[in-house]
Amino acid sequence: MAGAVVVALLAGCTSGSPAGPGAGPSGEPVTLRVLAGSELADLGPVLDEAAAATGVRVALDPVGTLDGAEAVVSGAAAADHDAIWFSSNRYLALQPEAQARLGTATDIMSSPVVLGLRRSVAERLGWVGRPVTWAEIAAAAGAEQFTYGMTDPSASNSGFSAVVAVATALVGAGSALTAPQAASTAPALRDFFAAQTLAAGSSGFLQDAYVRRATGADPGEPVDGLINYESVLLAMNAAGNLPEPLELIYPADGVITADYPFTVLAGASEEVRDAYRRLTEYLRTPDVQRTIANRTHRRPAVPGVAPAPSSALVELPFPGQADVVDALLTSYFDKLRRPSRTVYVLDTSGSMEREDRIGALRRSLAGLAGADPSLTAQYRRFRGREEVTLLPFNSLAGNPQTFTVAEDDPGPDRQRIADAGAALQAGGDTAIYDSLESAYRLAERQIAADPDRFTSIVLMTDGENTSGADIAAFRAYVGSLPAQLRGVPVFCVLFGESSTAEMEEVAELTGGRTFDARTVPLAEVFQEIRGYV
Amino acid sequence: MTAPSGRRSGRRVLSWLLALALLGVVGFVVIRDIGGDQPQPAAPIVVTGVIGSEKLAFFADQRVRDVFRANGLDVRVDPAGSRQIATTVRVDDYDFAFPSSSPAADKLLAERPAARTYAPFSSPMAVATFTPIVDVLTQAGVVAPGTSAFDVHRYLALAAAGTRWDQLPGNTAFPARKNVLLSTTAPCQSNSAAMYLGIASYAANADSVVADPAAAAAVVPAVQPLFRDQGYLPPSTEVLFEDYLSAGMGRVPMALVYEAQYLAEALSPDPVLPAEARLLYPRPTIFSRHTLVPLTPEGDRVGSLLTTDAQLIALAAEHGFRPIDPRAFAEAVRNRGLPEPPTLVDVVEPPSYDTLEGMLTSLGCTP
Repeated sequence: MAGAVVVALLAGCTSGSPAGPGAGPSGEPVTLRVLAGSELADLGPVLDEAAAATGVRVALDPVGTLDGAEAVVSGAAAADHDAIWFSSNRYLALQPEAQARLGTATDIMSSPVVLGLRRSVAERLGWVGRPVTWAEIAAAAGAEQFTYGMTDPSASNSGFSAVVAVATALVGAGSALTAPQAASTAPALRDFFAAQTLAAGSSGFLQDAYVRRATGADPGEPVDGLINYESVLLAMNAAGNLPEPLELIYPADGVITADYPFTVLAGASEEVRDAYRRLTEYLRTPDVQRTIANRTHRRPAVPGVAPAPSSALVELPFPGQADVVDALLTSYFDKLRRPSRTVYVLDTSGSMEREDRIGALRRSLAGLAGADPSLTAQYRRFRGREEVTLLPFNSLAGNPQTFTVAEDDPGPDRQRIADAGAALQAGGDTAIYDSLESAYRLAERQIAADPDRFTSIVLMTDGENTSGADIAAFRAYVGSLPAQLRGVPVFCVLFGESSTAEMEEVAELTGGRTFDARTVPLAEVFQEIRGYV
Repeated sequence: MTAPSGRRSGRRVLSWLLALALLGVVGFVVIRDIGGDQPQPAAPIVVTGVIGSEKLAFFADQRVRDVFRANGLDVRVDPAGSRQIATTVRVDDYDFAFPSSSPAADKLLAERPAARTYAPFSSPMAVATFTPIVDVLTQAGVVAPGTSAFDVHRYLALAAAGTRWDQLPGNTAFPARKNVLLSTTAPCQSNSAAMYLGIASYAANADSVVADPAAAAAVVPAVQPLFRDQGYLPPSTEVLFEDYLSAGMGRVPMALVYEAQYLAEALSPDPVLPAEARLLYPRPTIFSRHTLVPLTPEGDRVGSLLTTDAQLIALAAEHGFRPIDPRAFAEAVRNRGLPEPPTLVDVVEPPSYDTLEGMLTSLGCTP
């Protein structure tokens, strides 16, 4: 029954489609190429079953929220994708060009972004079994009564939703944020974000780092909680590897909920649209909705599948204008979040001399200084209040140059960093570990002078260590670090002929991670790292 | 046209009875087998349409599909906002367009002249809400006690003052720190929001349909915040109503929807309306006239069947729509033992397409 296609439906609809959708009209299996949020990887088994049942296979191509929005708006997404599937189309829909790029959108499931806190901390704060508002949460954060981690809002929708929810609840007047409200630096907002002690460019890293710190596998201080999707927090509790379960706090004044609209791109062929219809219809059948809920802890989109929620979770209005969201993100990065301190340990040994190495490094720093005009890059630049140190090295660590970016007029300071990057010259040997140790000593002095910052080290090297201390010596060095330095992660860029094994060990020892710039342009990797520092 | 459909009607009734008797796959196979025994074209003609999302459930209903199939048509539909249908959707990909109101259809018709259009059914705009909200609104004077009449003027006064739910006197049931605002769809895309604009602009224009650019400009300051203050708006009424059904009062305390969406749930064999679901009618309200614009001869057949086929008319009524003949609607409601919906006397006409477009442009919608 190739034609037995039933369109997406309301739950009351009785069709149920027992004959089941078959393969495409031609009888051939179809693959939909879908640009998607990385967290949808957990739907793998459901999508495999969907492929078996409908003949429609889904190839998920993971990408960050803003990168994805940009690809859709520019039309690049349509070149090699049939559909998009992100946690929300809200940000995308604000872009004036987006509307004409999108076809039908079908909500598949939902999950609100909430606060998960270690149960003992939630109990100590008196937040179990009673309504808690964002204002109370901000007050406790400002009084340093708890710490939390969240993802970078320019990389991941959960962090993005959190920033919108907190700002709307704390400075909004009951309706959607206005541009002046979005630019607010009200004390409650600063208080709230001051308690964030763990940042991450992806939801996966955030969860891992939380668990590793909680269990002592990571050298960093444990964090009391996470802001993330309800589904992620429930899954972490269900995984059973937390020393202490997370208590989910649903702020009484409201949340922002991800609704996962599976959206076919405009101009898709009839074959694609037909496959899309069959797949979404299948995903919205009550049984599949229940399977999704059980496996992923997300809420079903189809009414009547799950019991009605017992308490009314208030949904906060999401800003309806792009300039409001842009003002909010700019304010968050340059004024509200805990400022960063980043020491860039940069290999300028002889092997870097090639134009595609030292040149790429200079361009990467220029990109972070503002030369890259893309939507994502705009939020990955050196931020207002950030303390940036460039520590070039070859046979020895060179002279560090430290820049503090002005809060209100960051442009000139960014340019100074770009100029310093442009002046880097290659020559000499590669003393990686001596230089890393120099970076830690430098960070120690900087932390002593100004402790309230996210401090991280970024290591970029294109070769193996040829001079000074070796990895074993560094291992011992890390083991001897005082507590406040043991929490300083090293984010390692794999580039040229650098030693993957050693770089991974450095990341592991310090609670950082590696980034591969051998297959991805160095400038993109430098931007990606920004989500973590 | 008339003769073949008359000849087929006997088989349709038989198929329908069998389908009732032998549910699910058995029924389906039987229908197919019967079809195989009769001199019917081997494969139905695939007809595609782009429709307002609130009609999805109707077209997805197996009984509706069976009627079309019995007439040799396999109707497949994509949902889209009515304004999108009138503007951005590539209608050339389709056999028919079925937006949710006459202004959108008029626009399509102006660019794609069709021999005729079909308006098989209509539905008044209504407010889907919850009993505790109705109580709060009654106290606030928006709902007349014991009725389902939602006073648009009173509501607009509350909204204009930026009143929050937690500021309404005596409101302990829903003390949300959120403005009292009807949840709507995006007016730039969706017909139901455009109809709401019609209602609100009528009230803001001293109870008169906005008919010229000067009047349109004069009401914009009053109507703009009704949308802007909500922030992001869902693209389709289907999504909005589904949020109402599944996310509950905290997300959507009161939603401007089509009466048909709510009634379709109430009339379905297993309704999933929330326990405290209530339906109110704005005073005044607007009837949304669902208008099918044929783009090919096959599309025309769909329009013709929807207008003339007794079974499709009855099924449309079961999906909550009000067909041209009011008896089908009254019967569907009576058969389910539901109270008859109130007679709506305070009904106004939507503005013309051009006036509506003018107001939408003032609201920031790009063509």
